[in-house]
Amino acid sequence: MRLNKITEALPFLAPVQILILSVIVIPSLYVVWLSLNASSFGQSATFVGLDNYIRVLTDPAFLLALGNTVLIVIFAVHLELALGLGMALLFASGLPFRRVLLVAVLAPYAVSEVIAVAMWRFLFDPDVGPVTAMLTWLGLPMLDWSFEPSHALIMIGLLTIWLHLPFTFIILYAARLAIPKDLYEAARIDGATAFDAFRRVTIPLLGPAIVVALLFRYIFAFRIFSEVWLMTQGGPARSTEVVAVYLYQEAFSFNAFGTAAATAWIMVLASLLLATGYVFLLRKQVAGNVH
Amino acid sequence: MCTDKLAIGLGKTVAVAVILVWSLFPITFILMSSFKPGQDIFAVPPKFVFSPTIQHYVELWNGWGVFFGGLLNSTIITAGATVLAITTSTAAGYVYSRYSSRMLNASVMFLIIVRLIPPIVVTLPLFPIINAIGLNDTHIVLMVLYATFFVSLGTVLMRTFIDQIPRELDEAAQIDGAGRLTILRRVIVPLAAPGILAVAVFVVVFAWNEFLFAFIFTATRAKTAPLVISEMIGSIDGVDWGVLFAASTVQLIPVLLFVIFMNRYLVAGLTAGATKG
Repeated sequence: MRLNKITEALPFLAPVQILILSVIVIPSLYVVWLSLNASSFGQSATFVGLDNYIRVLTDPAFLLALGNTVLIVIFAVHLELALGLGMALLFASGLPFRRVLLVAVLAPYAVSEVIAVAMWRFLFDPDVGPVTAMLTWLGLPMLDWSFEPSHALIMIGLLTIWLHLPFTFIILYAARLAIPKDLYEAARIDGATAFDAFRRVTIPLLGPAIVVALLFRYIFAFRIFSEVWLMTQGGPARSTEVVAVYLYQEAFSFNAFGTAAATAWIMVLASLLLATGYVFLLRKQVAGNVH
Repeated sequence: MCTDKLAIGLGKTVAVAVILVWSLFPITFILMSSFKPGQDIFAVPPKFVFSPTIQHYVELWNGWGVFFGGLLNSTIITAGATVLAITTSTAAGYVYSRYSSRMLNASVMFLIIVRLIPPIVVTLPLFPIINAIGLNDTHIVLMVLYATFFVSLGTVLMRTFIDQIPRELDEAAQIDGAGRLTILRRVIVPLAAPGILAVAVFVVVFAWNEFLFAFIFTATRAKTAPLVISEMIGSIDGVDWGVLFAASTVQLIPVLLFVIFMNRYLVAGLTAGATKG
């Protein structure tokens, strides 16, 4: 059955559209205007063109934050993908108590960033942390995350992986389960080894799911804020800031709404850029779904 | 052959053990430590056998009344955000499922693109506006923000689930004289319940745990539980780990049970959400 007139459909659509327009779209467009003006909280703005963007892009603190963000994205997302893929294949190979194990793997999804940071700070505490004690016992160096920026970034990367692995795993596992068993049967009859089957059947058919999981995680890891803020507040001396923390500092610590807005739009553009491929894939999907 | 099988079995067992330790050790550690008496928390190697005590919970109750206020705020905000997100996305998902036009298809793309905007971006203009109209530090602000950041995913999910309900049912109800709203309430909603639950899992977990918006838009009256816990972590005179673990346990247990209980819907939602938008 069709809703015949668009006027009939409008009351059902309006709430969602009003929420999105008033909370996300219009404010985001207003941020464009903010980014082209020099302003701070409570003062009138003056138009400065692209000045804010130039100031941000030449600010060493921003470049460091961008570098840290890119490092976290590349390190965490790819490691997470490899782990998620390995786990998906392990689960698909047949495990006893699979449902219980699945629920155990999902558990970190329920944990807030705040509590995850509390856990990590204790587990890796230089003096009393059990993981630190274990690392020392194994003769490995401990993570001196409150003083050494690179160690802090490793901690944050691990924490991000821990929080988001359930997502990546589920996407890949669902896609792996969707591969028909016949294909593996056929491969086996044709004399393919397990590795051949993995290379020629599993990987090509998982391709789209891998791309989706990667893009989602690139986009979400790029906006990382809470983990970093709660772990180090960007310190010591702004050395572990990421782009979102830089934005927060500009806006709410230094009252520089112009440069904060420019940073915000740099984030939006980066996300859009990352997602072009994804949106392209989805357009095919949406076209395929038209009734 | 037999040793091969044994080796594979052994390898799998080790892999499963590593996965379980990775996923569950940090959680179990917090839950357990919240019941450990004073110095046992810091014992190396960690103690797994100890005489449990509720002293940290008593300290939490006596010293951190603000945490229980935070729990109440979190509950109100989570409930509000979930109801708002579910009602609006179900209504919109219904239209997207049953009606097709160029404009609607274009607006689906719009819903998907909106998800690319990082939440921190909107705090810049909303912060002064919300202050100006006196809504800062209120429940309603967080409810609306949390719901809005999930209605795009929610709508697309609901469309996917409602697509699976045969249109003949709508038609039958219409012949019986039911209006759109009645069809939505009496036919669609009961049959789309798994979709509604999937959306609910997303919104509940997000709203219960969220930090950034709560940090920026609340101060005292509407402060949520995660925010209070973050203050415990950042406390200047050293962290009181026992109390922090007790508070974390109280905040974590409800949402953890919820995710465990609803795991089917979470999996369905994640899968549909990733492939459909």
